[in-house]
Amino acid sequence: MTPAAAPPLTRQRVETAAARATGLWKVYGTGEAQVIALRGVDVELERGRFTAIMGPSGSGKSTLMHCLAGLDAVSRGQVHVGDTELTGLNDAGLTRLRREKIGFIFQQFNLLPTLTAEENILLPLAIAGRKPDQQWFRTVIDTVGLGDRLGHRPSQLSGGQQQRVACARALVSRPEVIFADEPTGNLDSRSGAEVLGFLRRSVTEYGQTIVMVTHDANAAAYADRVVFLADGQLVAELTQPTPESVLDTLKSLDRVAPAGAEH
Amino acid sequence: MIKASLRGLLQRKLRLSLALIAIVLSVGFLAGSLVLSDTLNARFGSLFSTINANVAVVVQPKDPQAVDPVRLTDDQLRTLSEVDGVRAVSPDVSAQGVIPFRSDDGEPVSADAMLGFGVDGKDDPLGLVELREGSWPQAADEVTVTAYTAELARVKRGDSLKVYVPVLNEPRTFKVVGVAGYSGGRDSLAGESVVMFQQAYAQETFYGATGRYAGASFAADEGVSDTVLKQRIAEKLPSGFKALTGEESSEEQSAQIGVVFDFIKYILIGFAVLAAVVGVFLIFNTFNIIVAQRTRELALLRALGASWGQVAGSVLLEALVVSVLGATLGLAIGAGLGAWVEHMLIGEFELPSAGIIVKPITVVLAYALGVLVTLIAAFVPAVRASSVPPVAAMRDVVRPDKSLVALSVVGAVLAVPGLALVLTGALADMGGTAFLVLLAGAVLLFVGTLLLSPLLARPLVRGLGALIGRGSAGKLGVRNAVRNPRRTAVTAAAIIIGVTVIGTAATVVQSFKTSLEDIMGDSIGVEVMIQASVTAAPDGRQGFNPKALDQVRAIPGVKEAAAWHFDALNVSVANQPSAFGIFATDVGQASRMFPMDAVDGSIRTLAAQELVVDDNTAETLKLKAGDRTPVVIGGVTRDYTVVGVYKTTPIILGILVGLPAVEDFPGPLAFQGFVSLNEGVDAAPVVAQIEKIMKDYPGVQVGDRQSYVEQATASYDLLLTAVEWLLIVALVIAVLGILNTLLLSIVERTRELGLVRAVGLSRGGLVWMVTVESVLITVFGVALGLALGVGLGAAFTKALITIEFASVIAIPWLDLLQYLAIAVVAGIAAAVLPARIAARLNVLEAISYE
Repeated sequence: MTPAAAPPLTRQRVETAAARATGLWKVYGTGEAQVIALRGVDVELERGRFTAIMGPSGSGKSTLMHCLAGLDAVSRGQVHVGDTELTGLNDAGLTRLRREKIGFIFQQFNLLPTLTAEENILLPLAIAGRKPDQQWFRTVIDTVGLGDRLGHRPSQLSGGQQQRVACARALVSRPEVIFADEPTGNLDSRSGAEVLGFLRRSVTEYGQTIVMVTHDANAAAYADRVVFLADGQLVAELTQPTPESVLDTLKSLDRVAPAGAEH
Repeated sequence: MIKASLRGLLQRKLRLSLALIAIVLSVGFLAGSLVLSDTLNARFGSLFSTINANVAVVVQPKDPQAVDPVRLTDDQLRTLSEVDGVRAVSPDVSAQGVIPFRSDDGEPVSADAMLGFGVDGKDDPLGLVELREGSWPQAADEVTVTAYTAELARVKRGDSLKVYVPVLNEPRTFKVVGVAGYSGGRDSLAGESVVMFQQAYAQETFYGATGRYAGASFAADEGVSDTVLKQRIAEKLPSGFKALTGEESSEEQSAQIGVVFDFIKYILIGFAVLAAVVGVFLIFNTFNIIVAQRTRELALLRALGASWGQVAGSVLLEALVVSVLGATLGLAIGAGLGAWVEHMLIGEFELPSAGIIVKPITVVLAYALGVLVTLIAAFVPAVRASSVPPVAAMRDVVRPDKSLVALSVVGAVLAVPGLALVLTGALADMGGTAFLVLLAGAVLLFVGTLLLSPLLARPLVRGLGALIGRGSAGKLGVRNAVRNPRRTAVTAAAIIIGVTVIGTAATVVQSFKTSLEDIMGDSIGVEVMIQASVTAAPDGRQGFNPKALDQVRAIPGVKEAAAWHFDALNVSVANQPSAFGIFATDVGQASRMFPMDAVDGSIRTLAAQELVVDDNTAETLKLKAGDRTPVVIGGVTRDYTVVGVYKTTPIILGILVGLPAVEDFPGPLAFQGFVSLNEGVDAAPVVAQIEKIMKDYPGVQVGDRQSYVEQATASYDLLLTAVEWLLIVALVIAVLGILNTLLLSIVERTRELGLVRAVGLSRGGLVWMVTVESVLITVFGVALGLALGVGLGAAFTKALITIEFASVIAIPWLDLLQYLAIAVVAGIAAAVLPARIAARLNVLEAISYE
């Protein structure tokens, strides 16, 4: 149960799903104001791989991620993280799940402004009352290249550095899966590339599972696999994507989008 | 996690300091009250330990307040002084209210206590009092005084000194044969005047016979402990007496004196309670605001795996830190406040201070209050914090305002029956129970209205806004004030509470005063009144000799002069203790001066063993004209006949007996005198002449009709002043609350403010917008509070009218306008800082915020 004590994840376990959604529906509001965000999505996210979720605005990609991460309740269907079924877990169960199996990287407001970079990185462990594995901590710090910035407050760091702190924080507890919500949305292209490169390395070198929501084809190209959403449904999928193939797929989606909007 | 909450604390200094002030005020008043009474007690404690320094045992009557207390005889005193282990004995022959007059202007001196002693011509065996010059009094017309007394009366050895002796009820002139002081060179112990008479003369004067003693103090032989001597003396004690060790006596005496200052203690505790109640709202609002601002941060913590308990705990931890800090500051300020009030109270006393006393229990209570108030207030915000969904870290989660329906239903369920009870109590003729019904109704109505206030906020603030919300900036201010009715209502709650209390008190007091003035103006035939000191024991032993009224009657222009005697100690009628005491006067004369309409029997001059009674008291005691009933006056029981029953009025009520009954009163002095004048005679010169006649009776006041009204309402004015101070405390906290809310609004609406500035609103317009919001919140609170307060005041007055205590409902419009004006100023003051912050906002930064 405690990832800190488990051996690093290896490629041999790629076949098992890190997260899985079956017949997932998400409906907001009632009556006139009703909005259907997800309509029966089935998706499996493999362990030790880097998956990107793409789609136009309002396609439901963020909602899908929130549901997979147990941040939002689902209307119908099932969600599993590892072998835990999320649907039906109470608040205490979800809290434990977040502590032990899930890491987050957000687009903005990732860090507590009052804590130093190091304290922010260790915050999930502090919350869970766990001791950090010093060796792993050094490895993570070295990988993100923050060694000389650990004592700085977020306000003293650049946007890219802040986001690398957030990556380190997600990695340090070695969760089953890291969910990243537009992690490069607020960064310039160079800082974005640094963060994405780092995420890529953590998948390749340490076998970390990452699920990333993005609308940027270049970012998606860092992933092993891209799933495309439109109007709340899974409409396409790419493996070993390149920026060009991602853009092509998006263009073809644009053509089918008007048909989808008639629902 | 703890680190994160504590670091956050430092970030929110300004906001938390507002909550801190509320805690400091509340704890400060509580600690002040406790420190005051402990410091006072210590000071008096040190006084009585000085007096009892060489005293091992004190013997005194079990009931010193009795009409005719037991006395020790010579034989009994000898028996006690022969007890094994007694080294010395100092018998007690003393009286209070022995008042020397100044030698130069003939006015009575004023001292903190005025004592007379009988001394046996030898030095004090206990060594407390020492002769400094001259001798002890040896004859009936000789006295020795303390150095401080000599200074007060401006006399020296060999001069003559006029002294008012209470039991003689008139002044006598004595020759000063000696001046004494206390051991250690002190002129007085606590600013008291002391006249020492020859013992036999004092015994005869004070106790009616020689060889009588009120008690005695005993010193013990070497090696005999106080407790042992007390036991030995107790075995030989005559009945009706008790023995105390010197220490026990000191404690008893200082406790008795401390009671005098209790009212100040209660006022301070009243302030503490109000500050705590109002503070709860402010702290509640503060933490709600903090939680609202921290939504993202809390959601992030939740997303990173913090449980709801950890999040709620972090808010409560923050509250705990603030409360401990506030309580510490409050304790320090309270200690200063207590010491200052103590100094103000008895700074004039020649009594050395024993230092500021802060007892452990004071510390414990101070922290308990601070922590309790804060945690209660922070509880709901903590729960709210814990319910922030983790997904709020990633996107704006609109958490719609909870519907006001549930709150309003509960409010209505309380307010409607409350209103019904208030109306019943005010309108139905229920006698004394009306007040209980009213009070219960008032509490329900008040709490109900507080709960309904969010619902009332929108229409009321809109209405008020139409009056002051001029221009587009003003209109925006009005919109902002009604945007979150819950927040507006909670912010205004402090004002509603304070203003309701003052509105009720002001209306009742004003009605009472107006009623009194009406009655006095219409139907009273009294132009001058003579009044014994209100602090005098009302039993006929202090006041003035009714014979002095013969001189008053001789003054040209005086029509009639009536003496009223009063006994409030140990009197009973129809086997029930009479709470209002018994008056003795010429009832026939009284009915010419005061409105006394007979409702049963007749109202006329009474013979011995006859009485008249007001209809309310008659109903309570089940008496009617012609009844015979036992009456106890001065320990004597006689059967009285009820001659008549008169209608109760606010100025005359209770049981009246005839002048022959004065024989039974503990003392023969009159308590009040009423003088009527012939048509067209000016009262002022008559008052001056009567004052001259009454000069020999210290403490007796003479005044015209207006001064009588003022005196009758003086205690109510005092109450009103205390309530006005309460209002100020409430307003101070309310201003902090408004400041708090406005600061939050500005932070929340940064983009909005930037936008209105970008589209052309001037800096002044922005300031006006914020000020309008602040004033509207304040005026909303005042309007609701005044409506509630005046309504409740009118209801209470109506009940007073029903039982004939008042005649009109008078609403103090002028005072209420003042309160409103003060509140508006407070509202403007609260807006200053937030408006400045809003005005300084950089437009570009504001719209690119986040």
